[in-house]
Amino acid sequence: MLRDFELDMPADLQETLACLPGGTPLAGGTNLLVDLRARRESAERLVWLGNIDAFRDIKIEDGQAAIGGGTTVGDILRHPGMERAAPALVDCARVFGGQMVRNQATLAGNVCSGSPAADSVPPLLSLDAELCLASATQVRTIALDDFYTGFKKNRRSPDELVTGISWPVPGPNTANRFYKLARRKGDAITVVGVAVTVTRDGNTCTDARIALGAVAPTVFRAKEAEALIIGETLTEERVDEAAQKAKELSDPIDDLRASADYRRDMVQVLTRRLLNQAWQSLGEKEAGR
Amino acid sequence: MTDQETSYRQAEANVVLRQVGKPLERTDAVGKATGRTRYAGDYTMPGMLHAKVLRSDIASGRLKRLDVSKARALPGVACVLTAEDLPDRLAATDMPGQTGQKRAATDRQILVREIIRHHGEPLALIAAETPALADKALDLIEYEIEPLPGVYDTASALEPDAPIVTEPDNVVGKYKIRKGDTEKGFAAADRIIENTFYTQFIEHAFLEPEVGLAWVDENGVVNIRMSTQVIEHFRFIADALGVPHNKVRILGAMVGGGFGGKEDITVELYLALLAQTTRRPVRLAYTREDSFVGHGKRHPFSVSHKTGVTEDGKITALEVTISADSGAYVFLSPYVLLYCAVAAPGPYRIDNVKIDAAAVATNNMYTSAFRGFGAAQACVAYEAQMDEIAKALDLDRFEFRRRNFMRTGDKTATGQTVESAIWADECMTKALDALGDKPADTGTVKIGRGVATYQQSYGRITWFHDTSEAWVGIEVDGTVIVRSGVTDIGAGQASALGQIAAELLGVGLDDVVIYNSDSAVTPLAGTTTATRALYMTGRAVHTASTNLRERLVAFAAQELDARPDEIDLANGQAFVPDDPSKSMSLKDLASRGASEGLERSELAMFRAPFTDPIDQETGQGPVFPDFTYGCHAVDVAVDTETGEVTVLKSVGAHDIGQAINPQAVEGQIEGGALMGQGYALSEELIYEEGKLVSPSFSEYLIPTSMDMPDIQCIILESRSGLGPFGAKGIGEPSLTPVAPAIANAVADAIGTRVFDLPITPEKVVQAIREAQR
Amino acid sequence: MSSEKAIAVQINGIGRELSAPANETLLDCLRRHGFFEVKSGCEKGDCGACAVQIDGEPVDSCLTLAWTVEGRSVTTLEGLNDTDNPHPLIAAFLEHGAVQCGYCTPGIMIAAEALLRETPEPSDDDIAIALSGNLCRCTGYTKIFAAIKQAGEVLRAGGNDD
Repeated sequence: MLRDFELDMPADLQETLACLPGGTPLAGGTNLLVDLRARRESAERLVWLGNIDAFRDIKIEDGQAAIGGGTTVGDILRHPGMERAAPALVDCARVFGGQMVRNQATLAGNVCSGSPAADSVPPLLSLDAELCLASATQVRTIALDDFYTGFKKNRRSPDELVTGISWPVPGPNTANRFYKLARRKGDAITVVGVAVTVTRDGNTCTDARIALGAVAPTVFRAKEAEALIIGETLTEERVDEAAQKAKELSDPIDDLRASADYRRDMVQVLTRRLLNQAWQSLGEKEAGR
Repeated sequence: MTDQETSYRQAEANVVLRQVGKPLERTDAVGKATGRTRYAGDYTMPGMLHAKVLRSDIASGRLKRLDVSKARALPGVACVLTAEDLPDRLAATDMPGQTGQKRAATDRQILVREIIRHHGEPLALIAAETPALADKALDLIEYEIEPLPGVYDTASALEPDAPIVTEPDNVVGKYKIRKGDTEKGFAAADRIIENTFYTQFIEHAFLEPEVGLAWVDENGVVNIRMSTQVIEHFRFIADALGVPHNKVRILGAMVGGGFGGKEDITVELYLALLAQTTRRPVRLAYTREDSFVGHGKRHPFSVSHKTGVTEDGKITALEVTISADSGAYVFLSPYVLLYCAVAAPGPYRIDNVKIDAAAVATNNMYTSAFRGFGAAQACVAYEAQMDEIAKALDLDRFEFRRRNFMRTGDKTATGQTVESAIWADECMTKALDALGDKPADTGTVKIGRGVATYQQSYGRITWFHDTSEAWVGIEVDGTVIVRSGVTDIGAGQASALGQIAAELLGVGLDDVVIYNSDSAVTPLAGTTTATRALYMTGRAVHTASTNLRERLVAFAAQELDARPDEIDLANGQAFVPDDPSKSMSLKDLASRGASEGLERSELAMFRAPFTDPIDQETGQGPVFPDFTYGCHAVDVAVDTETGEVTVLKSVGAHDIGQAINPQAVEGQIEGGALMGQGYALSEELIYEEGKLVSPSFSEYLIPTSMDMPDIQCIILESRSGLGPFGAKGIGEPSLTPVAPAIANAVADAIGTRVFDLPITPEKVVQAIREAQR
Repeated sequence: MSSEKAIAVQINGIGRELSAPANETLLDCLRRHGFFEVKSGCEKGDCGACAVQIDGEPVDSCLTLAWTVEGRSVTTLEGLNDTDNPHPLIAAFLEHGAVQCGYCTPGIMIAAEALLRETPEPSDDDIAIALSGNLCRCTGYTKIFAAIKQAGEVLRAGGNDD
C-alpha cells in the first residue's frame, strides 16, 4: 500500500507551478509510485501533471524537435516523424519497459529521475537535447549535458517543472544509434546503454557524440572519446581508440546485474560497434547517391 | 509392476477415440478469456478482516524482544498473534500425508519463538478492518533481533564448527544408490571424464501471488478458500489448530499458476489461525514481495559426474555426487534429493552406478517443490556431461547418446524395470529433424545447437501408496457431472477429466460440468503435483466412467432389445452401430433409467502401484510408477563479444503416451520451453548472507514476449503409459530438458562451457576469455 | 488519512462514481468496486496483470492513482466482452488455447487490443514489443501470438459481423 499523501490536481500549468513548492510532481508515476510504495522515497504532497493542456504535444519543424513535458515514451514510438528526428530515442523506446509503462512514463520524468540507468537519457544526450524548466517566476533552458550534478542529483530546483525537451533534428549526414545491453531482451533494467551520433562529410567525421548509461553515477558524454574521432576518418584504429577511451572514462559499479569490469568492457564493445555501424550507414548513403 | 497394469496397457492400445486426443476448447477457457473466472483473491465476505504477516528481514538471529502492544491498541486492529499465543502449535512441512503415512519429524515453528533461521521467517500475524490499518499495525510492532552467525552454503554447513540450523549435523536427507561394480566399470574404461555442474535458486513466479479467505461457519468448521495445489493440507491445518480433521475445509479456486510453489502450506495456516481467533472472515493476499520471501524455492544443486567410457562410446561406470541446499527448514528436500539421485544417470543404460546424495541445511530460504523436482537439476548435469564426454572422445553427440540409450525392458539405476516405451531416441531424431539445417555464423555471432534427452517420473514415489478418487454421474437430461478434489493450476487438469468422461459416456465436452477442488464436498483426489493429476485422477475418472458406461449400456441393451456388446455410446446416443433402428438418446436413457431406479453415478478410486521403500544401503527397488521420455533441441545465437544469448528455435519432442488434449499438451511444452529458457539464461534468486536481494520482477527476470524463440512441439504417442488411454505425464517433463539443451547449445557455439546456471552474458564472455588463455 | 473523494469516470462505457482516497491506486479502487477482471500481480509495473486502458491507452492500473482518471474513460477486459459483439481476441484466444492459468490473460487482452488498433496487421516483432510488459509464466507466449494474429485477421476482414 502507498502511505498517506495529499494529491493536488491543478488544472493548468500556472496552477501546477503554484503548487510545486513543497509538492512532488507526479507524471507517469512509474518511478515515483514504485519508490513510494517501497518506501525508498517519501512525499507529503504530490502534484498531478496530467491536466496540463497540450503537455504531450510533439513538434518537429525547422530542423528542431520539441516535445512537451508530458510526452510519454509511447508517444515517441507512435509519432511518425520520430524515426528521423530521433532514431536513437526510437531504438530506446522499443525496449523501454513494457507497453503500459511506455504509455505512462514521460521523457521528462525519466530524465528527472536521474538514475544512471534511465534509458532515454543516453539517446537524448546523443541528440544534444536541452530542457525547458519553468517555475512560477521564471522560465529557463539548460542543456541536458549540464543537468546532472551527481547520482540522482540535478539542477532542477524543487519549484521547477520540466515543461519541454528539444533537440536539433539530425541532418541526412548524421547517424544516431542506441543499444541497450540487459540480461533479458524485454522490459529489463539496463546493464550498459550506449548512444552515439556521428556526422560524416565525405571521409571526415565532422561531429560526434557518445553518451554512456549505467556506467557512472550519472549518464554522461564521453567527450574525450568524441574528440578522438571528430575531424578524423573513422578507420578501425580511430574507432578502437575512441572505444578504448570511452571505456577508460566509465566508472561503473558492481551490482546484481553485472560487474564493473564487464560493464567497462561492454562500453568498449558497444561504442566500437555503434560507431562503426553509424559511420558505415552514412558511407552507404553516400555511395547510394 | 502388476499384471493388471500390463493388461491395462494392452487393452488401451487399440481404442478408437472420439473426444480424447482432440484439441478441444478447455472447459475453463471461456471464463478466463472473458475475465469472469473468480480466483481465490476475488472472493470477499461482509465484515472480513485483512491480514498481514510481519517477517524477519535478517536470515539468522535471535528474537530478543517483540512488542505488539501498540499494534494491538490501534483502533481497527482485531488481532495480533505472536508465538506466545501459539505455545504448542507446529506446522507440517512434510509431504501431504493423505494416504495415512507417518509424517516425518520435520514440523517447524509457525511464528518465530526465539531463533530466526531464514530471511522472511514470520514473527507476527495481524488482522485489521482495512488493508491500510493492517499495514499501520505492522509498522507499530517493535522488535529487536540479535544477529547470529549463519551458514549460507552447503560446504560451510558441513564444516565441523558450523552453526547448526537443523539438528544434529545440518544433513537433512541422504541417499545412496549402488548398482553393479563401479571399480570394475572404471577399470574397463578407456577414459574417465569428471565435471561438476551447478544450478541456482529459482522462483516459481506464478502470476497470482498467494491469497485466500477464511471463515468459521455455523458448525465450527474453518473454511478456507485459497489458491493452492494441495487442498489436502486441511489435515495439517486442523492439527495446527488443534481441531479434528473434519473441522477444516479447504476450497480451491482456479489457480493462477503453481509450478510447485503452491504445493507447501502458504497462507492457509495464517488465515486459519486468525479466523479461529477472531471468529470473523479474514482475507490474506500476499504482495509480490511477500510471495518472493514467503514460499520455498527451487534447490540449488551441485552435481559431480565421474564417467568411465570406452573409446567407442560405451559408458562403463558412473559415479555421481549430489549436494542440495535445503535452506532453513526441511520441507520436501529429502524427496527432491531422491528424485535427483534416481534421475542422475539419465535415460542411459549404465551397468555400474554409484550415487551419493545429500541435502544440507543452511540459513538460506528453505527449498522445496518446483516443476522438475530434483530431476530437472539432474538433467542439467547428465546432459551437459554427455556432451562433454562426446567432445572428449571426438564422437558425434547424438550418436554417443544413441549408443547408450535405455530401451524398453531395461532397468533404471535402482533396478526398476521400465515396461513402457522408451522413445528417447525417436524423440531426439524428430527434434533434430525439426531444427533443420543449422544457420551459419555471422561475424562475432556464433550459432550453437544443443539437445537434451531425459527420463522423468510421473506419479508419486510408490511407497507413498498414492490414491485418487473421482465421481462421475449422469443427470436425467443426459448431461454429465464429474466431481473430484483435483486442483486446476492452469494446465487444464479439470477439463481433461471432462474429456475422459465425455469419451467414455458418449457425450461432448460441452455436456460435462466438472466440480473440483473442495476438500469437504468433492472426492479426494490427492495433489496436483508430481505430474500425477492426469495420471491418477484421470484413471479414477476413467474407472468411474467405464463402470457407469457399463451400467448404461446394460440398461440400453434391455431398452433396445440388443446385446450389451452390440451397444455403443456416442454423440449423446446409445445405439447399435449395425442397426439404425436401434437407437435412443442418452437423455431418454438416463430419464428412463432414473424412473427404474438405475444407479446413475459411480465413485472410483485409483491406486498407483504400491511398493516398499528402496533399500537404504543400495537404493535398489522401484521408486516411481513409470517414466516419460523425450528430448528438447535448440539453436542459439551467441554474441561472443557481449555474451548475449538468443534462442532462435526451440523444439520439444516428447512421448506422452496419449495426448488427452493435444492443444493443452502443446501449452505445457511451449510453457516449459520458456520457463526452461529462463532457468538457463536469466533467472536467479540472489541471497546475500541469506537475505534475498532480488525480490521483484525487475530483478528476477522471467522471459518476456521479446525473449520468445520459435517454439515447435512434437507429440509422440506410444500409448504405453499408465495414465488413461495409455497417457504418460508431461507437466514436469516438458521443462526438464530445456535448460541443459540451451547450455549445450551455448557450449557448442563458443567451444567451451559455462558450468553454472544461469548462463549470463558476463559468464559467457568470461568463459570465452578463459578458453582463449 | 488521505482525504476521500468521489470521482466520475466511464468504465466500459458506463458512467460510474467511485469513491477513493488520494493514495489509492486505480487497481485497488477498481477491485474494491468489483472489477475483479483487473488482476494484481506485482504492484510495480513489472507484470502487466493489472493493465486497463485509459482513453484507449493501456496503462498499469497499479501505477495509476484513482483520482487521476476523473473524467476519463477506463476499459477493462469486461469492456471487450460485449455479449452481442465480443472482441475477436476472445474467440481467437479460445480457438488457439492461448489461455492456461488465465491470470495474465485480462492484461494481455488489454495490451493486444490496443496493438491491433494501432497496427492491424502486426508482425511477430510488433507483438513482442507490445506484450513485453505482460508477463506470462504458463504459455511461452506462442499461442498468444497466434491468437493475436488471428484476431487481427478477423478485424481486418470486418470484425464479427461479417
